Amino acid sequence: MSRGRRSSAVDAGGAADSEESDDEGSDDEGGGDGEGSDDGPATTERVTRRGVETGRWDGIRGAALALVGVGVIARRPGLVLLGAVGVGYALYASVGEAPAATLDVTRTVSDATPEPGDEVTVAVRARNAGDAPVADLRLVDGVPPALEVVDGPARIATALRPGSAAAFEYAVRATRGEHEWEAVTAITRNPSGSRERTTAIEPADPARVVCTPELAAGGDLPLRGLTTRYHGRMPTDVGGAGVEFHATREYRRGDPLKRVDWNRRARTGELATVELREERAATVVLLIDARESAYAAPEPAAETAVEASVGAAGQAFRALLDGGDRVGIAALGPVDCWLAPGAGSAHAARGRDTLATDPALAPTPSGDRFYRSLWLRRFRRRLPADAQVLFFTPLVDDAAASIARRIDAHGHLVTALSPDVTAGETPGERLVGFERRERLRELRSAGIRAVEWDGESFPVAVARATNRWSP
Amino acid sequence: MVRPLVALGVAAVAVGFVAAVDRGVASALDPSETVVTLIGALGVVQGLRYANARRRRRREAAAPGDPERRAPAAVPGADLDERIERATGPARGGHRARRQVRERVRELAVATVARERNVSVEAAERLVETGDWTGDATAAAFLARSSSYPVRVRLRAMVTGRSRYEFGLRAVVDAIRRAEGERGAGGAEATPEADR
Repeated sequence: MSRGRRSSAVDAGGAADSEESDDEGSDDEGGGDGEGSDDGPATTERVTRRGVETGRWDGIRGAALALVGVGVIARRPGLVLLGAVGVGYALYASVGEAPAATLDVTRTVSDATPEPGDEVTVAVRARNAGDAPVADLRLVDGVPPALEVVDGPARIATALRPGSAAAFEYAVRATRGEHEWEAVTAITRNPSGSRERTTAIEPADPARVVCTPELAAGGDLPLRGLTTRYHGRMPTDVGGAGVEFHATREYRRGDPLKRVDWNRRARTGELATVELREERAATVVLLIDARESAYAAPEPAAETAVEASVGAAGQAFRALLDGGDRVGIAALGPVDCWLAPGAGSAHAARGRDTLATDPALAPTPSGDRFYRSLWLRRFRRRLPADAQVLFFTPLVDDAAASIARRIDAHGHLVTALSPDVTAGETPGERLVGFERRERLRELRSAGIRAVEWDGESFPVAVARATNRWSP
Repeated sequence: MVRPLVALGVAAVAVGFVAAVDRGVASALDPSETVVTLIGALGVVQGLRYANARRRRRREAAAPGDPERRAPAAVPGADLDERIERATGPARGGHRARRQVRERVRELAVATVARERNVSVEAAERLVETGDWTGDATAAAFLARSSSYPVRVRLRAMVTGRSRYEFGLRAVVDAIRRAEGERGAGGAEATPEADR
């Protein structure tokens, strides 16, 4: 709500030409410095990061003095005069301080909740709220690290008189996640460029884009024979009501008539009851590797393993929920993330939100430290006893494989689903690829199912792998 | 040391300004060839000294970076490549890096041999040790204790100016891939069934 109001206010301001906004500015901000105007909508926060001497005119004094000296020795007035020009430049360089960037910055995004792949236009408008002109101003916007600018640079170089404004626009391509813009960096210099000041300007309304992909159903997902007492789709070894034949046993009083084996009764005269394989629901926790090492890709600009894992987990989540299973989500990483297993449409919405915007699954690593044993203890405490784990991990280090084995050792059936993000160019990349395959084999020989996919879609890989498995 | 020099300079400038206005003071100065040349030489020396001192100072400028690009993802193996670079280059610490990389490759080769030839890990270690695990002499020499690189490789290393280690490493990587038989882990491997 507040976002809408603010952006409209900005639009009104933006429509005004710089001449008009001159007047507006002096009315609005009066104080000049604009340090948090009393009740105005824009309370731009400014922090001076650093002020330096650029050294651009270094040596001009020495050169001028040497020129004068040469002129004197050679008795050439022309050279002495030339030296005087150098002295003029030296004076010019030493005059003036880099002006403070007393700017009011507003930033608006065209769509706060785009679909993945949409282009979002970002408009930035900066108004000089101070009394002094800014002769040399460079503004660089703090685009979120996971977003790529597809149209126009996210920066501008300009000069601003007091009260006048400059604006620029650029477009970013939306990707999964919650993206918050960082501060605008303003670099101001004095006219000669000898002094420079860098200021971080936090616009009053921090722009934010939330991009939540739809969960596509990903076909059928292989589960293992650990189930709950709820009815569902997983065939079990328990006889009872169901579809598939399981066994026959002696008739007991109270057995339903339709399950009596009449053929046998006709043949031998004994009453027997047919038992069918009971189908029950499973509890599944989708565990996504989001440690810093999982933010890896075959190329620096390619999709990371975390993105691939989250995409696949979304398909698995939908498929399992549709199949009547209870599904939860957890992240293996420094930031805590836990969605307890559940079912129903409200749970589906929660799961979609978790996969899209949970900070633990952010598109760029958080940078915090990860404590494995602490994480494992907490995860085991939360994990329901009858839950099985689908572990999405690129398996690019030994820790992931060892965690899979540890969870398996605690009696939870683990299936490792591994996007292949290794490249095959240099010897180092190839060796890491070999090591990863070795880890997959070790997991398999330890009785943990493993599926890897690379390039092909996740459901195709799962279907191909499932053919090899017995139920 | 600096103070008297500064005082002298300020005094000289003051006299100069006064001389520009007052002819009396100007005529009191000795305008001879030597004195003027001396003053000029002083100016040149001082100017060059000044300019030179400033030349070494670093230029500073704010670098706002590249916010338009996406944060680059890490490529698995890039750190290992860096270590290999250090191992093959002339940099210090190369010996340790060489040993670490070789150990890592050896473990991989032993695991591959043990699996593909269906032998125990000890037997695979022996095979790698003696160099009998592969037909490639260069790869064998990289991991073996006794055998040495073929003459062909030694010559090539000498001509190209690169280290034998580099040739050996590439050969080993190729040999491991051949031993694996080009087959991905997701391929036709039997999966042990361990449903409980």
